[in-house]
Amino acid sequence: MLTTGAIVTTIIGWCIFIGVLALLFTRIGKGGKWED
Amino acid sequence: MAEIGRERWTTRVHFLFADIGSAIGLGNVWRFPYMAYEYGGGAFLIPWIIGLIVMGIPWLMMEFGMGHKFQKSAPGVFQGVGKRWEWVGWWPVFMAFLIVAYYAVVMAWSIRYAIASITMAWGKGAAGATGAGDFYYGTVLKLSEGAGQLGGIVWPNLIILAAIWIILYLIMHKGAGVIGKVAIWTVSIPWVLLVVILIRGLTLPGAVEGLNYYLTPDFKELGNPEMWFAAFSQIAFTLSLGMAGMFAYGSFIAKKADITNNALITSFSNCATSFFAGFAVFSIVGFIMQSLSIPIGEVSASGLGLTFVSFPVGISMMPTGAPIIGILLFLTLFFLGIDSAFFLAHGGVISPIKDKFGTKGSRATLIVCILGFVVGILFTTQGGLYWLDIIDRATAFYGLLITGAIATLVVGWKFKAKNLREHLNATSDIKVGRWWDWLLKIIVPAGLLFVAIYGGFMKDLPSPYGGYPVWAASMIWVVLFVTLVLSFVFQGIKTKTPEEKEEE
Repeated sequence: MLTTGAIVTTIIGWCIFIGVLALLFTRIGKGGKWED
Repeated sequence: MAEIGRERWTTRVHFLFADIGSAIGLGNVWRFPYMAYEYGGGAFLIPWIIGLIVMGIPWLMMEFGMGHKFQKSAPGVFQGVGKRWEWVGWWPVFMAFLIVAYYAVVMAWSIRYAIASITMAWGKGAAGATGAGDFYYGTVLKLSEGAGQLGGIVWPNLIILAAIWIILYLIMHKGAGVIGKVAIWTVSIPWVLLVVILIRGLTLPGAVEGLNYYLTPDFKELGNPEMWFAAFSQIAFTLSLGMAGMFAYGSFIAKKADITNNALITSFSNCATSFFAGFAVFSIVGFIMQSLSIPIGEVSASGLGLTFVSFPVGISMMPTGAPIIGILLFLTLFFLGIDSAFFLAHGGVISPIKDKFGTKGSRATLIVCILGFVVGILFTTQGGLYWLDIIDRATAFYGLLITGAIATLVVGWKFKAKNLREHLNATSDIKVGRWWDWLLKIIVPAGLLFVAIYGGFMKDLPSPYGGYPVWAASMIWVVLFVTLVLSFVFQGIKTKTPEEKEEE
């Protein structure tokens, strides 16, 4: 069995990474092709 | 003004994948999970994420931002700061060249193992568990007695190395446009393969025990300075900074495009991959522990020992699907390595040569690929592993940390962090505040020098690195000194003007 600590680390770790990346992608202003 | 004809990323997606691919490398698999296990399990995430925010991200923003601002690779950036600073940009170029020369050899070993997995050449079942070490050191490397005994060339490794450099040439010679397209595949494929390996790993007996070692937090470790050192050193090495390439990658971004958000997405994607890779690695480590009834301390869980000894042991003990998992695992390592390799070669070396000498892209690529292959021959000899270790210490440890600290100090204090911050905020999705100036001016260089002094000089000066003979370990300092001198020599060579480049 996974320890409680291991389960908590898994949940918190993924919440941080998925949460932060989701937040960053919502802040993308200019997508698509890049032209000067 | 953007330089006329400068190569460009075609889309933001291409840039992000190329950049994430350059950051994600073998270290995400063979270094981070072990560090987490060694220093507090889940509690390691705390100093690691703090290190990412106060050191890794500001440093990455600096390299992207300066490349973008000056529209040049590393030497051109520092020439723009002041003519006497150009050497600061050349020093990491030499590091990048030496790193990619041996990195390609490690990729060659991965391919050799992927092929060997078809027949489980190191042995099946219990025979594989005892034979994996002999296969790596005896068959694959034909390892000599010491660094002073180079022995002959190991031909299979040399042939695969040549093939890898041909592949790298074909990807790189048309520049960032093609690299961006290829990166979508070379980043996505290892992610998918890691998922497959994780699913197989989790179905193996003992996997849960391995994961408990990896994830169970020990908060007492937070009071241990070694844990903070380990976390900051991991951040220093994980983003492929201090290797010149990120300046060039930043310079390929369109003028009116974002810097800061891309840096944040790259950083967190890289760290998420490390965190994820740890699940795959430690599920297999747990399986090895249970299969062989040995404690975790007896399983090599990091570096080359993990990759080329422990993984084969684990694969040989798998009840079903062992050859397939072996092939997938070593192809994953190859794909993790390849985009870091073309980042080092193209962004780190080829782009600076093009900027300085006006050499055409395909010619510069051919020259660098041939030279990289020739230098790599050293690491395909029977004594190659020793020299790989010594050159790695000189370049990817001391070189990265020292050149990174000097670069951030020059940008922070000479160019002024405020000027760069204003440039970043002018085009980016996310604005950075004044706090960023102080991170760049003090925290980043102090963190890098701390890792170099505490983790390097304090160990390697009293006694030779790695237990090598003094003359061999001294090559670390020789490499650093010679590359520094070469940096000043290159600074002294006249840079071709855009008009002269046009005439070429």
